[in-house]
Amino acid sequence: MKTLKLIFLALLVSFSYSSNSQTAEEIISTYFENTGGIEAWSKLEGVKISAKINQSGMEFPAEIIQLKEGQRMVILNIQGQTVKQNVFDGEVLWNTNMMTQKAEKSDQETTDNMKLESTSFPDPFLNYKEKGFTIELLGEEEIAGTNTFKIKLTKKPMIVDSKPEENVTYYFFDTENYVPIATQSEIKSGPAKGKVSETTFSDYQEVDGIYFAYSMTQGLKGQPGFSLSVDKIELNPEIDAKEFAYPEDTETPITDKKN
Amino acid sequence: MKKTAILFVLFLCLSAFNIQAQESKINGDAIFGDLTARHIGPALMSGRINDMETHPTNSRIIYAGTAGGGVWKSNDAGTTFNPIFDDYCQSIGAVEVDPSSPDNIIWVGTGETWTRNSVSIGDGLYKSEDGGANWKKYGFEKSERIANIIVNPNNSNEVYVAVLGALWGDSEERGVYKTTDAGATWNKILYTDQRTGCADLAIDPNDPNILYASMWEFRRSGWSFESGGDKSALYKSTDGGETWNKIHNGFPEGQLGRLAIAVAPSNSNVLYTVIEAEKDERKGLYRSDDAGANWTQLNNDFGLTVRPFYFSRIVVDPKNEDVIIKGGLTGSISRDGGKTFKTLGNMHSDIHDVVFDINDSDRIYAGTDGGVYRSWNGGTTMEIVENLPLSQFYHISVDNEEPYNVYGGLQDNGSWYGPSRSTGGINARDWNSIGGGDGFRVLPHPTKKVIYSEMQGAANVWRYDVENELVKTIQPLPVEGHAKLRFNWNAPMATSEHQPDRFYMGSQFLHKSEDMGNTWEIISPDLTTNDQTKQQQEDSGGLSMDNSGAENHTTIFTIVESSLDENIIWVGTDDGNIQITQDGGATWKNTSLNIPGLPKNTWVYHIEASVHDKGTAYAVFDGHTMNDMNPYVYKTSDFGATWTSITTPEIKSFARNIQEDYVNPNLLFLGTEFGLYITLDGGKSWSKFTNNVPAVAIHFIDLQKRTNDLVLGTHGRGVIIIDDISPLREITPEIMTKKVHFFESKPTVMVDQSGFAGSFGTETQFVGRNPSRLPQIKYLLQKRHTFGKMTMEILDMDGNKVSTLSPGKSKGINIVNWNYRIKQPKIAKGKTTSGSVSPRVPAGTYKVVLTKGKERYEHNIELVYDTNAGLSEADRTLKQKVNMNLYNMTQELAYIVYQIDTILESSDTKNKVKEQLQALKETLVITTGDNYVGSAEPQLRELMAQIFSKIAYSYDKPSPNEMENLMIIEKRFNKAKKEFEKLKSKAKLKNIEMKSFDDFLND
Repeated sequence: MKTLKLIFLALLVSFSYSSNSQTAEEIISTYFENTGGIEAWSKLEGVKISAKINQSGMEFPAEIIQLKEGQRMVILNIQGQTVKQNVFDGEVLWNTNMMTQKAEKSDQETTDNMKLESTSFPDPFLNYKEKGFTIELLGEEEIAGTNTFKIKLTKKPMIVDSKPEENVTYYFFDTENYVPIATQSEIKSGPAKGKVSETTFSDYQEVDGIYFAYSMTQGLKGQPGFSLSVDKIELNPEIDAKEFAYPEDTETPITDKKN
Repeated sequence: MKKTAILFVLFLCLSAFNIQAQESKINGDAIFGDLTARHIGPALMSGRINDMETHPTNSRIIYAGTAGGGVWKSNDAGTTFNPIFDDYCQSIGAVEVDPSSPDNIIWVGTGETWTRNSVSIGDGLYKSEDGGANWKKYGFEKSERIANIIVNPNNSNEVYVAVLGALWGDSEERGVYKTTDAGATWNKILYTDQRTGCADLAIDPNDPNILYASMWEFRRSGWSFESGGDKSALYKSTDGGETWNKIHNGFPEGQLGRLAIAVAPSNSNVLYTVIEAEKDERKGLYRSDDAGANWTQLNNDFGLTVRPFYFSRIVVDPKNEDVIIKGGLTGSISRDGGKTFKTLGNMHSDIHDVVFDINDSDRIYAGTDGGVYRSWNGGTTMEIVENLPLSQFYHISVDNEEPYNVYGGLQDNGSWYGPSRSTGGINARDWNSIGGGDGFRVLPHPTKKVIYSEMQGAANVWRYDVENELVKTIQPLPVEGHAKLRFNWNAPMATSEHQPDRFYMGSQFLHKSEDMGNTWEIISPDLTTNDQTKQQQEDSGGLSMDNSGAENHTTIFTIVESSLDENIIWVGTDDGNIQITQDGGATWKNTSLNIPGLPKNTWVYHIEASVHDKGTAYAVFDGHTMNDMNPYVYKTSDFGATWTSITTPEIKSFARNIQEDYVNPNLLFLGTEFGLYITLDGGKSWSKFTNNVPAVAIHFIDLQKRTNDLVLGTHGRGVIIIDDISPLREITPEIMTKKVHFFESKPTVMVDQSGFAGSFGTETQFVGRNPSRLPQIKYLLQKRHTFGKMTMEILDMDGNKVSTLSPGKSKGINIVNWNYRIKQPKIAKGKTTSGSVSPRVPAGTYKVVLTKGKERYEHNIELVYDTNAGLSEADRTLKQKVNMNLYNMTQELAYIVYQIDTILESSDTKNKVKEQLQALKETLVITTGDNYVGSAEPQLRELMAQIFSKIAYSYDKPSPNEMENLMIIEKRFNKAKKEFEKLKSKAKLKNIEMKSFDDFLND
């Protein structure tokens, strides 16, 4: 009877071994291999993504720029006007107030957390150890019928309401192609704090030797969100640093004049 | 060794067989894809809470372990909660935050512990090491109920688990367990016998080697409850659980029942226990001031002694050993060390647990039968948490209104109905009360606005005339010549599809009324076993009598009249009979005497009479009240002469309800203790459906015929709806081999109806999600699309592109919404933004083109107008013409402004012409101000957008006033156009790169 137990145990072990024979490290390395190679990824200085945000047929064109040093911005085209949102020059994070059409700085905590994100370019898994990130394979999990490796990525803690909070994102790598098809993370601040947001990825396509997801959806897990479809990705775009700078307001606001 | 080798080979063969056998089956996991459920609550009355837990250093974090709705976490001091345990058993006994690692380590013991008749079961112990994001099971699969988990405050590896254990049978998996390796291995450190479990466990926070454990002898059956016996006792250990001694000095004599135990955190010598004893005068609260050596009785008020099996929690203020709260019907608080008590502030009755805020004892959180309540003033006034949709339905039904309503009765929370859709989401205020007490079945009259509802044991059966607001009770009363009526706690009722005014009720007899319950006729003999030994409810309760009616047995539990033949009626009883009459009640046949594989007297929970064939029915038997947790699902095709099991090992727990599809006889839905299962092959194989359906107990399922929505009545997560399951009907093994398969869809109405959401004050409330009313393009992908482009376009039948959509890429079913509007027009550039109007497409057929790599797949969808708006074809044509006129004008204006801007930017044109152009532009678009109160006077663009939006977003055809206004706009536009052309002719255009109109639009 005892031997039976042993055999059974051995069987179990061998099963769990076979399913876990992939380490997180190997999955990540295959991912980079399959999407252009570590070298190509490492050489990236920046990306400019031209995309359309789509919600049930309503389309909004947008440009997303991210640079190696942490600068980033989203440029929306609204009725011929360019409106910059979520702009970060490496130090200051700002947005355009849609009512006054003027730039306003984000609160310091959000800015500090954005600064933490800087090192994630172009991919948080690239040299993750040097960035001080850790990864862990939690096992296999199905995402809408597709089998995936679930990898936990822990970045440096962010600060929420003056307290440090763990900064975790779960990546789901397709077990067939080794590319992420979804990420999930707990929303850490604001009224949705505690809910889980989900982003899905598909339509991977090659741009100068590197594969990017050309289609994304984002929303709360289990609920419909919006989708983003990429028209074009430009690698290493030349962007004037001034584009990211916070425009100091010198004019008197029009509202003051009126009242 | 040889034996093991044989076993091993056998194992391999079995797995091989398994793989082969599955080939002819249809695997649901590959199909469900994006088919996702939505939750509509209600949350306004919430549901039963079993255990509350605080975080030792962060007062904003509160956990609620619920009786049937999983674990919920608040990050905002109890203002709102989020579920963190949806994938696992939803019945929670205990939640414990590790004091040494409170942000990371959380233990959850499943299986609620306030052992009423309707409790769900647990399936073991879980731990999260990341604050609740991921969970792992740590054994105790057969424990059924875990009462407490305690982590040594100085050592995360040392954990104690109190297993109360099985409610309906013997179990050796009871007692106190200890791990010293963080859960890898467990030792049973206190065990009494198979009937006696650990009901409460406490640790001395100042000396974690000191433990107190209360052991409770208890047993429930389908017809009785017993609390107490010689084995119930309170124990103490001073050596980390190695040895235990009874501490009964000062305790009442004789048998004991359920005991609560609490140690005062501020003074570990002060202990409190609440004792269930033989004599009423010796029951109640006892206190020890010497760590359990001696006990003194302090109080035996009703609040301290009421229903010990349901209320046995005592909580001491962490800062003051003399302030204690006892759970109970109303909850009681003492501020004099337990001598006197007053009731807690008004809140839902049945308080099971209370926690004090870690910093401020004025702040109290209470877990009740109706959710979580907060107090800011020491329990004097209580306010409910509004976003916990934990409602525990016993039954649900739907009507055929637009939108259809969902009806149902709740544990301790009355009966309700609410809409499946409402402007701005399904809010608390959308739900209507339709009965008090414990609610059970609620049925709408098939044709009239009349609702039948009931409270426990048919004590009242209400008939509510909704339109005239008239309520009448119509329960069948005992009549001459018949025995005393025995109604189940959850008494069955049924309506007829053949005779709208017909109404059935079941006691031990079947009662039929042809006039909505005014007059009753008994149309059967006693259809139960009439086993007298199961009818002694006045003896139920053990040491504390508990004859609530909840244990009434040998009763009819389910009734269904065949929709194909009104003379065929099926009746199932709680003691195992399935009776059928084929002559309207003249003769009856018991068909369940020899069902293969079914234990005798297993509760007939539901019979589903097939809509496809008279002789076919499905029966779901539930043996859990006989300690049998297996699923029993059977089918007959010969009026019950033979029954065949359609249960497979894929179903992991006992089941209560089955729903047959109205179209595809092989499509069946099964409600189990741990979630929803679906078969696409008539029961050869079952797949668990998890897309937003938690592992919750599903007590009843209905399928709305018009919408094909599957409506689940859950016992802990309210009503959950899977909208339009019709794609599942089409699934065949052949379809699954296609790369892309489009599902058929009914023509979609372009809805003209709308309303006002008025979402004032709903910020912290649960709001149920609405279904999409947009046309949905549904298709099956054999494989997830990951590499390469995949796009979707909508074309009209002439091949013109109308819209671009983002297609779903999931393996299985994908659902894409289209807002049936054309792309928003290009709008003139100004200083500010203007309203953007996208008109709807005209009704008709549209082509969906899905391009996947090099392959192209096409499918047609049809849109129809909303007849509610009362518009004629001519009205629609006019509206379409006006809309497109405005659309084109908007784009033309945009092009004019673009050309002006281009000329103004160039250098060749004379300044005078430029000035004139600038002046013209200032009449076309706003060139100053902002988008809020700094806005400038509206110009042509703004005026055009105003009338465009007014006409396009109205349900109605353009009004004469609107047409007149439009004429002004058109005039002004034509004038401006002429003026521009004039000025343009004066401008120097030679060196300007001016886009053509088409290029401008497509830019």
